[in-house]
Amino acid sequence: MQWLLKYILKIKPNFEEGQKLHWLYPLYEATETILFSSDEKTKSAPHIRDSIDIKRVMILVVITLIPCYIFGAINVGYQNAIALGLERSLIGNLFFGAMTIVPIIAVTFIAGAFWEILFAIVRKHEISEGFLVTCALIPLTMPPSIPLWQLFIATSFGIVIGKEIFGGVGMNIFNPALTARCFIFFSYPSKISGDMVWLVGPDGYSGATALSIPATTKNSDAVTLLDNVSQFDYSWLNLASGWIPGSIGETNKFIIFAAAVILMAMKLISWRVILGGVSGLFAMAYVGNLIAPYSDNSMLSIPAHYHLVMGSFAFGLTFMATEPVTGSHTDIGRLFYGFFVGVLTVIIRSINPAYPEGVMLAILLMNAFASLIDYFVVKVNINRRMARYAQ
Amino acid sequence: MPHIKIKKGHDLKISGVPDKNIVYPSQHSTLAILPNDFRGVKPKLLVKEGDKLKIGSPLFYNKINPDVKWASPGCGKVKNIVYGPRRVIEKIEIDLDKDQDSIDYKAHTNEEISKLSGEQVLEEILKANLFTYFRQRPFNVIPNHKVPPRDIFISGLNTGPLSVDIEVVMAGQLENFQNGVNAISKLTKGNVYLTTKKNSVLSSIENVKLNTISGPHPAGNVGIQIHHISYLRPGEIVWTINPQDVVVLGKLFRTGKYDPTRIISVGGPSVKTPSYYKVRTGVPIKSLIHDNLKSENVRIISGDVLTGRNASAQDSLSFYDYSISVISNDIKREFIGMLNPGSSSSRYSLTPVFVSLSEKLFNFTSSQNGNHRAVVPINAWERLLPMDILPNELYRSILAEDIEEMENLGIIECDDEDFALCSFACPSKTDVSGVIRQGLNLLQAEV
Repeated sequence: MQWLLKYILKIKPNFEEGQKLHWLYPLYEATETILFSSDEKTKSAPHIRDSIDIKRVMILVVITLIPCYIFGAINVGYQNAIALGLERSLIGNLFFGAMTIVPIIAVTFIAGAFWEILFAIVRKHEISEGFLVTCALIPLTMPPSIPLWQLFIATSFGIVIGKEIFGGVGMNIFNPALTARCFIFFSYPSKISGDMVWLVGPDGYSGATALSIPATTKNSDAVTLLDNVSQFDYSWLNLASGWIPGSIGETNKFIIFAAAVILMAMKLISWRVILGGVSGLFAMAYVGNLIAPYSDNSMLSIPAHYHLVMGSFAFGLTFMATEPVTGSHTDIGRLFYGFFVGVLTVIIRSINPAYPEGVMLAILLMNAFASLIDYFVVKVNINRRMARYAQ
Repeated sequence: MPHIKIKKGHDLKISGVPDKNIVYPSQHSTLAILPNDFRGVKPKLLVKEGDKLKIGSPLFYNKINPDVKWASPGCGKVKNIVYGPRRVIEKIEIDLDKDQDSIDYKAHTNEEISKLSGEQVLEEILKANLFTYFRQRPFNVIPNHKVPPRDIFISGLNTGPLSVDIEVVMAGQLENFQNGVNAISKLTKGNVYLTTKKNSVLSSIENVKLNTISGPHPAGNVGIQIHHISYLRPGEIVWTINPQDVVVLGKLFRTGKYDPTRIISVGGPSVKTPSYYKVRTGVPIKSLIHDNLKSENVRIISGDVLTGRNASAQDSLSFYDYSISVISNDIKREFIGMLNPGSSSSRYSLTPVFVSLSEKLFNFTSSQNGNHRAVVPINAWERLLPMDILPNELYRSILAEDIEEMENLGIIECDDEDFALCSFACPSKTDVSGVIRQGLNLLQAEV
């Protein structure tokens, strides 16, 4: 590949300061450093540096998302086959699913890259790799039936409002992928509120989601309600293994669990957020179960382990809540931050009558409060130091 | 004996570890003192080109504190005084004579040293122009001799990459070290704290508060030890001194002569035979790495790879450095490096993103391994800082130049060398240690 490197370095002078093409320098820089690892040297101490960089971090997260894509494609095909009453092979399902989600991925990346490059050129900074993760996450949170024009607008909103107006990756307050999801949720509620299942099927074919069944039925036990559904298999095991209609990437919890373990082992995401999130979910679900006999709200009777596999909680916690920039920045803060994500998810699911799913709103809400949590953690640290100084 | 166990940190697996069994002598005909080695000092020359010098003759003094002068490490003639931009003195070069004479000061017996008063010790150290071996915390600068320190700290172990093994260096110097400790213990009303590893040769030293420490780098950094033994409070000052320099002071009191020799390590992936050398302060680097490099395209560092100074072969060893490290400047550009699954044979990371199965050493280069980006806090810093400090918040308060917040977050206990590993591991390639120094400078300008 030396000829390519030679060529790239040969055209480099055209993009330097004072040349006609200088305004395209961010694009050139991105191409050069994506194709060939950087040759930048340290200028002062420390003279040696770790091999990890932001490109590596981001690309590893994207790699762990690939199994979600593959399963998502198969499941889209599978749900379509059920809706049409067809028998189709695994490969057939995969092929059908790929035909559905590849345009979704393409539109997301085109929109994301367009805005990222535009902002990099206008604001004269490097193209940040963060948009790769954002754009890889957005399709996974979308229903397969999403109209592409809505997706384009949502991605643009997520990248621009969620990230770029704050100055880019590292400075944003809200998770850009969730901002995009949230935009679509409130702008086109008829398509995406989560009351009805999402699948690519014949017109008029629909059904209730696992979360909306107990939400709309009063005075019943949630598990019994779910077991009685004949249209879809809403048993715990099937909810976990993901052969249900849903957003593209969030249905199979085993794959998400494996991804979480890998990311935690590589220390790219914080185990504290995950631990906090799961404990928060279990604690609040347990509290709900205690109240359930005195209420006509069937959602309160959902056991904790059902909450864990229903909706997008697992996906949101693993890939969205653990986002290091928008979450808490302190170790103790991360535990609390995760805990409240779990608690709020159950509260929004059970008590709020409007939205059957709560994890998206819970994470966005906690994004807003993350700095507040950090503020108190820092305060405690300072107070401890002051007490020590006073001795 | 209290024991401190450090859990956070990391020992770099860098190749070119010096052989500690042989100590080579060094041969050179010049020496140089670099006034830029001393932070916050305004040097005013006491010599001019052509002046005759003895070992210990004053070379220059500090305009801010004229009592503190710098001793010449060699006997000979001032060959050259190099000025930088705005007439900053960069280098005072000395041509060495064949015979090396020292200025004679008063010699003491071991008993006499123990009986000296604090004023006498300080006076003799200042007279011999050797006070500059002391540095103070906070700020890691040469202290004001008029303000007695709360305590004096000596780190009896080196954990930095490719550093000298204090055990080897001290083996034959215990008596001088003890004399040095006896003398400097008079300078403080508090304690002299000596921290060593377990079962150290230094554990027989008396007149000190002995602590042992274990764990990865930066356990050997004196700032980390101060934090764990007796932390700094605002307004307090402690002094630190390197154990090899305690030996120099010990010899001064015992023999009345300044002996500027020290044992340093010369190592790194680009050195053919990494080993120890017995040198004088200010030795020309060329004389140590001559014929001993694997290639031409290298970076020579005075000091260790984490905290050292960018030097060249024509340069000299810095006053406070005890090692020279050489790494390659050749950087291979991998095709689609970001997708390469990462052979652990060429890539080194503290995060387990490159699967490493062997315990071998790595040939680090001067590559930054990535481009600078905005900070993405994946906890890389916190895992490597064994202090009760929130590095991320401290970093931000420094960027915001919020001095009150910096003090609240404990900046007075910090020094840039303790944060070097954080800069090493940062995926955003942020210069954390540089920013910490920036914060310390801000604070120092304020007080």
